[in-house]
Amino acid sequence: MMTDQQSPQTVTMRIDGREVTVPTGTTILRAAESVGIEIPHYCYHPGLSSPAMCRLCLVEVEGWPKPAPACKTTVAEGQVVHIESEMAQAQRTGVLEFYLLNHPLDCPICDQSGECQLQDYVFAQGREHGRGREPKRVLGRDDFGGDVLFNGDRCVMCTRCVRFMREVAEDERLCVVERGNRAVIDTFFDEGLEGSPFAGNIVDICPVGALVSKDFLHKARAWDLDRTPSVCPSCSQGCNITLQTRDDLVQRLKPRENMDVNGWWMCDFGRHNYEWINRVDRVEEPLVNGETQGWPEALGSLLGRLKEAKGEVKAVTWAHSTNEEMGLLKAMMEELGGSEVVYRSPRTVGELQLPGFPLLARREDLAPNVRGAEILGFTRVGDEEAEGGLDDLATHKGVLIVVGDPLEDQNENFGAQAELFIYLGSYLSKVAGNAHYVLPTTTFAEQEGSYTNVQGRVQRFWPGIRSPGSARPGWLILGALFAEFTETEAPIGADQAFVQVAKGVPEFGEITYRDMGTRGAPARKSAGVAGD
Amino acid sequence: MAYPYTHEKEVRILSKHFGEPEARTVEGWKARGGYQTLSMAFEMGRNAIIDEVKASGLRGRGGAGFPAGVKWSFMPQDGGRPHYLLCNADESEPGTFKDRELLRWAPHQVIEGMIIAAYAIRAEQAYVYCRGEFFETTQILARAIEEAYEAGYLGKDILGSGVNVDITVHCGGGAYICGEETALMNSLEGRRGTPRIKPPFPAQAGYMGMPSTVNNVETLSSIPFIIQEGADAYRANGTAESPGTKLFCVSGHVRRPGNYELPLGFPLMELIDDVCGGMKEGRTLKGVIPGGSSVPILNAEECANCEMSFEGVIAAGSQLGCAAVIVMDDSTDIVKEVRRMVGFYAHESCGQCTPCREGSAWAEKILRRIEEGRGTEEDLDTLMEVTSQMEGTTICVLSDSVAAPVQSSINKFREEYLSRIRTGEKAGVA
Amino acid sequence: MSEARRIPFNNPGWAGNTGEFQLTEAQVRGDEYVGKRPPEGGHPSGTSTYPYMLAEKDPEAPLFEGAYQERFEKIRSRYPDARSALLPSLGMAQELRGHLSPETMEQVAQLLGLSPAYVRGVATFYTMYNKRPVGRFLIQVCTNISCSLCGGDDVLQAFLNNTGTEMGETSEDGNFTVMEAECLAGCGFPTTVQINSRYYENVMPKDVPEILERLKAQGE
Repeated sequence: MMTDQQSPQTVTMRIDGREVTVPTGTTILRAAESVGIEIPHYCYHPGLSSPAMCRLCLVEVEGWPKPAPACKTTVAEGQVVHIESEMAQAQRTGVLEFYLLNHPLDCPICDQSGECQLQDYVFAQGREHGRGREPKRVLGRDDFGGDVLFNGDRCVMCTRCVRFMREVAEDERLCVVERGNRAVIDTFFDEGLEGSPFAGNIVDICPVGALVSKDFLHKARAWDLDRTPSVCPSCSQGCNITLQTRDDLVQRLKPRENMDVNGWWMCDFGRHNYEWINRVDRVEEPLVNGETQGWPEALGSLLGRLKEAKGEVKAVTWAHSTNEEMGLLKAMMEELGGSEVVYRSPRTVGELQLPGFPLLARREDLAPNVRGAEILGFTRVGDEEAEGGLDDLATHKGVLIVVGDPLEDQNENFGAQAELFIYLGSYLSKVAGNAHYVLPTTTFAEQEGSYTNVQGRVQRFWPGIRSPGSARPGWLILGALFAEFTETEAPIGADQAFVQVAKGVPEFGEITYRDMGTRGAPARKSAGVAGD
Repeated sequence: MAYPYTHEKEVRILSKHFGEPEARTVEGWKARGGYQTLSMAFEMGRNAIIDEVKASGLRGRGGAGFPAGVKWSFMPQDGGRPHYLLCNADESEPGTFKDRELLRWAPHQVIEGMIIAAYAIRAEQAYVYCRGEFFETTQILARAIEEAYEAGYLGKDILGSGVNVDITVHCGGGAYICGEETALMNSLEGRRGTPRIKPPFPAQAGYMGMPSTVNNVETLSSIPFIIQEGADAYRANGTAESPGTKLFCVSGHVRRPGNYELPLGFPLMELIDDVCGGMKEGRTLKGVIPGGSSVPILNAEECANCEMSFEGVIAAGSQLGCAAVIVMDDSTDIVKEVRRMVGFYAHESCGQCTPCREGSAWAEKILRRIEEGRGTEEDLDTLMEVTSQMEGTTICVLSDSVAAPVQSSINKFREEYLSRIRTGEKAGVA
Repeated sequence: MSEARRIPFNNPGWAGNTGEFQLTEAQVRGDEYVGKRPPEGGHPSGTSTYPYMLAEKDPEAPLFEGAYQERFEKIRSRYPDARSALLPSLGMAQELRGHLSPETMEQVAQLLGLSPAYVRGVATFYTMYNKRPVGRFLIQVCTNISCSLCGGDDVLQAFLNNTGTEMGETSEDGNFTVMEAECLAGCGFPTTVQINSRYYENVMPKDVPEILERLKAQGE
């Protein structure tokens, strides 16, 4: 019983001979984690309640009659915990044998293979040979609806999925049916998970191959995938993600932990909106009046044309452009004496909040950098579908600069009357056919850059796949032009580009790429920007 | 004689009025001296009641034998949050059939005990978690509670004392594990009856997260006597460590199976040979499970000097549990009966902890194979090791309950297993 | 012993077969004491103690109407939250309809503000909720240790033989479904058999035909 004395703020104890000091109330599992020791576990997940039922995290605590579940037992002053003692190891080996009794061992055809915690733990500490001689229980597969396929035979009954749907999604569509050895995860008969916007997360948190993605089914082996930290471009939330790629194709998106943004989660809308990154109908080389040219020639002649141009300069971009691209576009416009930059971005009605992690919602703005455009003072035009609103640009007679937006909604005469039409984009849309200069840009997946999310958080992403042909990041192209124009030094890295952009923008202030790291950094609040 | 199971060696305190239909009625119960303890208890006050129960040494009758008064004293002393008293009437341990008898023959005894207990632990709401199968029993109990409300023993301001106690009968849905106190609380909350990890203990966070105490029917039935006659009178029966009388549920191969109320510490063989009329004609004793199917089996030699108290049965190599004495004569096929018991645990495992979920079903499959003559000698080693991996590794002790019959039977009746494995014959089975 | 006091087939509902009783079956079962309980549930403290299985079932019965709605509200009033009323509500739904179909689970979920999947998870945890239709009489024979020692398996077999059914299947006339049960807490009176909500104790294989006849003729 706790007395009314002030309890000390930290506790010092020993784990496998190492002294560990952690805040009072920390569990053994977290204490071990803090010194880099992983205690095997299934049912524990930092984002969920701990039922302590998988019994894999049992550790030896000196002086205790029974092994203790590390996920639930809080540390005590002077406690001595053994994770690799003979007793604790035997414990784990024993529990793992139980797990394999009814497991089909179908690793060769299982998508989880290579990133499976059952595989890893058994490989590390399982018995060499199982003693089970009895026929295995066979449950088969069940389509849970949405993107989720359930393989009952592989399930370890950790109930992470049930708890996610109950505690985080607060949409209790999963349950454990029956009890004992007959227990199995299921939905309400045929109800399934269809329509649940966050159900895809249960595939991520399933420690084994019981819940797999139908979209990813048999597409790639875990060990063939390259993983790159990135930011989800599907809405202004900017969930931290990992691009998982093979052969320069994005195979799937997975959420990446960031407690300030998305926790461990992301929505299914963002998760499955990646096919466009793999589009192959790309502009690969600069086109000048329809003719392929090398970059030096193209940029050289463009510079000349720009300097000679007499007409007013107008520019349009979209909220998929990076902070760097937008910032350098703005600088360029100021240099050319152009009018304000407009941008378009699709918008939906209503947010889809994740009840158990309210910071995360699928936001109304369905593009990653609306806040960046707002901070830079761009004017939003167009409708909910990011269409229209460009009538004066379509018939503009001066200099027209388009960055990113393929302008699919515009008719083929867009920009036809422009004195000089420059198009920086990844796809050769019909409108781009009118451009004097088509300069191929990379997508976010192919370059380094940053977005500012709805919270005003500036977040970096890294190139995960190679760009086709000689496409270049927008900031590199605009940066080079700007430098030539102003006879200054061009940025040769996205970090330099950001510094250059941030100079004139109080919200970005002194933030650098180093500050952002992999988790982003908050922009300074400013009165001019719509509230969170 | 109304109740068919009586014996002159019995000390009938709890079972005094078994077999008397009138004792079920509130008037009949009052005529037998019932409900006198309420005003006594309210006058004594909470602390004195708890002290008296502590002094009586009454140990929980649900199986674990934890001192009831000590359990009550864990309840917070300050108000603010609702407290709950939960009466565990989910009697399901194979071999036990005492709570049903207490509830259907002396329902007011349980109600009286519950009112005192609820008052002592500051609970105004009490639930009787009844086994769902007990239809007739719960009907009787519900009628008795209704009568107690009419008579002013339940509800608001009981007997003008200012004490409020409500009792609600709650029927389970058919799950052995709900007899485990934390599973019972989950079940009462309308959840799957899975045991909760402790801490927090029920006295800190029980039903609905509020301070709760779970007591067995027999424990609560003992309270009126302790209040009425005092701790010393209670201690006049039983041993120093296991005071009082206990309902012994004797089943299996004896002539007169049934419930017998005897002082704790009563010799096992006297219980079997004298009280229960001995083994059936021409049969000899093979073994006894002294405390319900989840305790180790005693062989005939171990039974010889076993005294039926908490400490006495431990000394003999098993546990008293809930004093469900299952007697097996020489016609018993140990392999089959152990398989049946393990099958029960496999069926009743809630399925949350892996060792229990997988291990109980595995052990049953191995045992079935041995029973069918398809076993190997290695299977016995596997069984011993598998069950040892199930001991102390789970949230509740259901898993340990599988280990007890398996390990004790392999240790004590290994020859029966071996002959089944080697020849398929039921050696040692008369 | 007068004929009125004769307790049929080895004293169902009664403790033992020593031949020493002086009570009627109704006295033993408590029928006289309990009397006829009102359909709306009587005192709220005991509203959840109604039979969970009845011979007459109506799978289309509404959830809940009239007296049953009143009972449901009484049950609800005895718990601090709606979830706690789930088990008694499922019991009442089964009392009316005979089993818990997906639709029934969904309706109960709606009544209590729970998710259907949650209710399914709970309903399947407990064995007393029938997840599919059963016969008029659900016969559950205990074959656990104490009954097993005294011939429970033979009693189970006798019920299967006499009803002509397989385990868990319903007889052709729709009368009987026979199942194996875990310990029913009647260990001193083997073999204990539960038929719908009633216990029959000290059942021997020879008693089975008579029990089945009585059921057909008189109900439980």
